[in-house]
Amino acid sequence: MNIDIKHIAKLSRLRIEDDKIQEFETQMQNIVNMVEKLPDIEDELVLDEDNPMILREDVAVTDKYTRQELMSNAPQVKAGCLVVPKTVE
Amino acid sequence: MELFERNAYELSDMLKNKEISSVELTKSVFERINSVEDKVNAYVTLNEENALKTAEQIDEKRANGESLSALAGIPIGIKDNISTKGLRTTCSSRMLENYVPPFNATVMNKLEDAGVVVTGKLNMDEFAMGSSTETSYFKPTCNPHALDRIPGGSSGGSAAAVAACEAVVSLGSDTGGSIRQPASYCGVVGLKPTYGAVSRFGLVAFASSLDQIGPIGKCVKDVAMVQSAINGRDNMDATSACREYTDLSANLKADVKGLRIGLPKEYFGEGIDNEVKTSVLNAVKELEKQGAVVKEISLPSTDYALSAYYIISSAEASSNLARFDGVRYGYRTENYDSLIDMYEKTRSEGFGDEVKRRIMLGTFVLSSGFYDAYYGKAKLLQRRISEEFNSAFKDIDVIAAPTVPTTAFKIGENIGDPLKMYATDICTVTVNIAGLPAVSVPCGNDSNKLPVGLQLIGNKFTEQALLNTAYAYEKTAGGFIMPKL
Repeated sequence: MNIDIKHIAKLSRLRIEDDKIQEFETQMQNIVNMVEKLPDIEDELVLDEDNPMILREDVAVTDKYTRQELMSNAPQVKAGCLVVPKTVE
Repeated sequence: MELFERNAYELSDMLKNKEISSVELTKSVFERINSVEDKVNAYVTLNEENALKTAEQIDEKRANGESLSALAGIPIGIKDNISTKGLRTTCSSRMLENYVPPFNATVMNKLEDAGVVVTGKLNMDEFAMGSSTETSYFKPTCNPHALDRIPGGSSGGSAAAVAACEAVVSLGSDTGGSIRQPASYCGVVGLKPTYGAVSRFGLVAFASSLDQIGPIGKCVKDVAMVQSAINGRDNMDATSACREYTDLSANLKADVKGLRIGLPKEYFGEGIDNEVKTSVLNAVKELEKQGAVVKEISLPSTDYALSAYYIISSAEASSNLARFDGVRYGYRTENYDSLIDMYEKTRSEGFGDEVKRRIMLGTFVLSSGFYDAYYGKAKLLQRRISEEFNSAFKDIDVIAAPTVPTTAFKIGENIGDPLKMYATDICTVTVNIAGLPAVSVPCGNDSNKLPVGLQLIGNKFTEQALLNTAYAYEKTAGGFIMPKL
């Protein structure tokens, strides 16, 4: 299996510096060679019906946090909104 | 004996009997931190001012005759991937260097209700990805028993702080061994609870189907006390189990008469250091002397567990860490010319190399054309591993094995070789894959005086039996050894 690190990095929204590509590629190659060693199990995946997740009631919570609290960690805020680069030309 | 050296259960009695105050105890722990932290580097953030404030409040409540929990006034350190309202939570990553959660993890609400004193946030491998605490963005933590060696990881700060008496007890998290492995290396007790026993709400997600928060302490009883304070159903975590829990510490019994212990031959084979093997087998002999029945068992799929673990955990990590995009919280790059440019630069500058490797591995195994060959196969193997454990637990009660193949290695020794680092998880990952509980308890030292850990694995929700077994061993042959710092 050949690993195309540039392609995987792109899918991962990561950018690998040119001088580090070779190192990452070798390491990823070794890791993939290790995890490849899996037996063929002739079976199908089924959901665990004995342990269903129990979801809480879907109720709107309006007064738990203020907008300011929720936005306090945002890198850039303007007029109570998150600022991002222009996405539509 | 200084207050910081004592166990939580002893301190709990001393506080209850008003022999000491929580302020005195908290001051003692911070004096210890001041004298040894520059050698150990267990903490990312200290919380001294608030800790003393909480201690004062607890002392006042006690003076007023209010009824308090056993943990009230006990100083506890928290792994830095557990959200603490108003207290920086970094996951030891540049990405969250300045992140201050606006909410508490459920375990923190429970501990605050119990009246604990939070000493600070403990160092870890970045986003819990690592086995040595060397992938922390801030600094490596040192093993208190040998400062040139790693404390293990990813909860390395949590184990080192307890071993160095910089916290009476601590919380860690365990995705593939991250509580048990550092507990073993640092000579302390660490419990990875059954998946679903402790709420994951507010634990920054690494691999959601494997992650579990658990306690680390100097002795089994302390671990039992903390576990009983944090377990239970939580509506904020749909995977938390709906069941009632009994008090693990009140029901702790050093009794293993008739207990059936299984020794899986796959955990004692190639790659396991001879001194580790001898210490673990001697510990099992001690339990046999006390009336346990020991038999050899086989868990044949163990050899494939590491592959399945790295596929499943990285796949989930690649998805979980997609949220770090520089928009709502966390680091954002300074210069960018488009949205995609901002995402890529932010993530490349904010994450360290190990996190990048895991995200890329996860992206690869989930990508079109490879999903069935990797992720699909790993999930099928996960079921087979669970079935093998289920079948073993028909004839035995507890499985005994080494926690880690070797004792603590030197700082820098394995950091350049991811595969060597991953191999240290070989004895612990199966437990997470099968969602089982397991505890690591100190069982002697190797010839370099480095601690060895005995791992006890049980069927789902058998924490009491595990802790009873660990307690029986600890009372007669084990116990915490104070490092010379």
